[in-house]
Amino acid sequence: MTSRVVSLFLVFLAVARTASAQTIPIQTVPLVPADQFDIFPSSTLAMGGVSIAVPDTLHDPFVNPAKGARLRAARFFSSPTFYSVSRDAGAGRTFPVGAFGTAGSWFGGLALALQQLDASRSPAPFPPPPGVFADTVGFVQGNSVVPSPANLGPAPETHGNAHAFALLGTTLPGSGLSLGGSVNWAKLRALDGVDLLYPGSARVTQYGETFDARLGLLKEWEGDRSFEAIVLHERFRMTHDVTFLESFWDPGTQQFRQSARLERNRDFSKRWGAQVKYERPLTASGWRIGWLATANRMSQPNAPNTDLLNIPQDPGHANAYEVGVGVSRTYGPAVFGMDVVYQPIWSTTWAVASTPTATLDGGLIPLGGRTVENGFHFSNALFRMGFSHEVVRSLSKTAALQLGLLVRSVHYSLAQQDFVEVATRRLQESWLEWTPTWGLTLRFPELELRYRGRVSHGTDRLVATPNQFIGVADARPIGIFPPPSTLPPSLDGVHVVTHQFSISLPLR
Amino acid sequence: MMTRIVGMAYLGLLALAAGCDGWKTPSGPPASLDAELRQSLSRWGTVPIGPTPAQAPALVDLGQALMFDKELSGNRDIACATCHHPVSHAGDGLALSIGTGGSGLGPSRTLGPGRQFIPRNAPTLINTGLNAPYLFWDGRVSGFGFGGGGPFQTPAGAALPSGLPTLLAAQAMFPVMNREEMRGVPGDRDRFGNPNELAEFGDSDFVGLWQAVMRRLLAIPEYVSKFNAAFPGTPSSELGFQHAATAIAAFETQALTRTNSPFDRYLQHDDAAMTAEQKRGALLFFGDKARCASCHGGPLLGGQTFSNAGVPQLGPGVGNGAPLDFGRGELFNQEFYRFAFRATPLRNVELTAPYMHDGAFADLAAVLKHYNDVPKALREYDASQLPPGLQQLYHGDDATITAVLTNLDGRLTQPLNLSEVEISELVAFLKALTDPSARDLTSLIPARVPSGLPVQE
Repeated sequence: MTSRVVSLFLVFLAVARTASAQTIPIQTVPLVPADQFDIFPSSTLAMGGVSIAVPDTLHDPFVNPAKGARLRAARFFSSPTFYSVSRDAGAGRTFPVGAFGTAGSWFGGLALALQQLDASRSPAPFPPPPGVFADTVGFVQGNSVVPSPANLGPAPETHGNAHAFALLGTTLPGSGLSLGGSVNWAKLRALDGVDLLYPGSARVTQYGETFDARLGLLKEWEGDRSFEAIVLHERFRMTHDVTFLESFWDPGTQQFRQSARLERNRDFSKRWGAQVKYERPLTASGWRIGWLATANRMSQPNAPNTDLLNIPQDPGHANAYEVGVGVSRTYGPAVFGMDVVYQPIWSTTWAVASTPTATLDGGLIPLGGRTVENGFHFSNALFRMGFSHEVVRSLSKTAALQLGLLVRSVHYSLAQQDFVEVATRRLQESWLEWTPTWGLTLRFPELELRYRGRVSHGTDRLVATPNQFIGVADARPIGIFPPPSTLPPSLDGVHVVTHQFSISLPLR
Repeated sequence: MMTRIVGMAYLGLLALAAGCDGWKTPSGPPASLDAELRQSLSRWGTVPIGPTPAQAPALVDLGQALMFDKELSGNRDIACATCHHPVSHAGDGLALSIGTGGSGLGPSRTLGPGRQFIPRNAPTLINTGLNAPYLFWDGRVSGFGFGGGGPFQTPAGAALPSGLPTLLAAQAMFPVMNREEMRGVPGDRDRFGNPNELAEFGDSDFVGLWQAVMRRLLAIPEYVSKFNAAFPGTPSSELGFQHAATAIAAFETQALTRTNSPFDRYLQHDDAAMTAEQKRGALLFFGDKARCASCHGGPLLGGQTFSNAGVPQLGPGVGNGAPLDFGRGELFNQEFYRFAFRATPLRNVELTAPYMHDGAFADLAAVLKHYNDVPKALREYDASQLPPGLQQLYHGDDATITAVLTNLDGRLTQPLNLSEVEISELVAFLKALTDPSARDLTSLIPARVPSGLPVQE
């Protein structure tokens, strides 16, 4: 009711695969998005993700399809990626394979990825005691009513996703101009962390898809100057069928019993985005500089309905902008890069009255009228820095070490207008996240092997206490009734550790 | 050289970041009212109530007849329903009830000559079928029996017949035993001038009295038919008052279970069932400021604990404590329980004024103002708010007040510091506990009863 976080949080989980500057994440609590979508190979993610003035020929085509023009030859790649969240709060494994190729002035690519995600918490660790499982009941809740399952088997511990990416582009002869388009589609059965949004649930079944289409332009001039532009549209549709085992008091047996309730929630959103970027060398030897500007317009008409305290679920829209500057220097066997990015974001969310609602000053909010409106203003900043150093260089092989650091500062102010209570509340929040990265690259004439790792700090995740029937610490016994209770999840500090091994080899 | 600079910069940033490790996690935007409330509810085990077991129609029919039939009383002048009347929402609307010898119904009921008030308020029978573990204000009938009396603990001990299916049925055995409520005193004559034979039994002769009541009932052919229909496998010779009590309990369960309040719908995840004001009241109720749920938590919102809430002492008193009422302390003669009464279940509480064990408060706001600062409220209790006939029965002397406060529930010794707005929000929440169908129960009144005695009198 009071804000939006889950909605945008989920949206940006979904789009985090690009991990670059075309999509701007919005979060009002430091929930960490795991690297579920960060699955394609990259040569700079191990350098803190510097991207403005450091080219990343492996990863750039996934960001700007026109940059496929920089591929010199057909290549096959694979980049198995593994992540895990501390405190057993989630893990995932992804196996992407793909190939890029060229034909005359045309270039293209295809990639597929299969992904397996672990549940973010143990599914139903304490099943209801035998004999107290009652008939299922269906309650009105969430965005619709669906029939309840008659029986609830054990929830699967893993879920599978599938990703597909396709790119096609061309370079206009003699103009230095390349155009490209790409689509990225994912059929999703799990989004990392979503099951934690429903504390006390016995099972969360997710299904949906995300679709990202983008058009890119790359203009290159002599002197190694370049300009690029991207327009993207993204749609994200997920449905969460959440099964709760809910206690009720059975007057006949004078016992707490449980029934299953199925709640269907939808998380739909769409986004338009545009980005322009310009890069050129500086006069000093080896130095480059780049600038970028990004705009995103996001809307989320449907958001999942959760009972979490800090993560409300109101629909809303946001305008997010980004300006950044980056420099890099190549000095013999070493490359250094640094980006500084500022992200002003304005987001509005609201809650609507499901029935005519009386206000404190005697007014009446009609059905569908806004009861609460939240105005967020973010002033976020990113600092990325990294370097790569070739420690072995010969005709037959090259070995390079990479280190990097990504620091993200989030600050926002919230002005909340409560039309029911006729009150305005203000809130300011800020926090800092930092992510060290590291990597190792081995290049052979016919093969390139890469490893990169990263670990997030200053980030949280909802850490759940399992669904329990009785006897939890915070539950308060009343008289002779032991209360069934579920501890709400709390935000606790976690680290996400990601490892990616990638291989790239030419196709003949 | 550049590599060294970069390395130093990197390490510096890493150290800076590591220094921030102890930063407090931002709490994020304020929680929604619903999220906060649902979390509070889960702490107190307040969950939806499932359906009550279906009752056999013949049993309910018999129970309805017995509930409204004055034949069960010694003087044939008062029925169970007299003090638990549908018009008064299965109560009587009086602070202290008026038993046998009285006349009239509901708040206009008056004492008979030479009679005195029942020492306690007649609690509503609405939702008694939900099987709270204690019944009566002092909990003298409970589901914690041991030894004689089977699963129930009652004043009858081992004399309680077996076969009573529910605690409510066990409870229904006892009002006919009470001289002030239904039985009368030796020498009474019934409404027709006949001797009251039920009054002649000794107070501990439970079995004799229950048999005598059954003799009355089975002397009426229509009752024989109704009992046979309700208990088809039981010969008439084996019918006892426990069968009558079972039928009364079945009627109460079938007809008076009312659990479709806005709050009940909210518990079933209908967020729109309660208004914002009611939700704020609920947050106070289940929160740490008003702490109401510490006694009125659980699925029934009460009925499970006893508390000395510092209620003004009013009425003729009970037992050895008379003219005071020691409540559960009278039952166990324990200091711990002195002046403690059952924290009553609160569904439909809006409909069941006046409140507390002796009806000392006429409305919910008065109750909440009392709880807001119990010691102060008790000392400043204004007896003029009572009906004139009760004002002289108020025990407002210093000794009584001191005695009550000495044993006051520890949760109530300090003021709650609720504002007027918060009190009104709490009242709004309490009104959200009303099942709309409980507002008018008059359809439960039968046109006639088998004895032919008047029903509406």
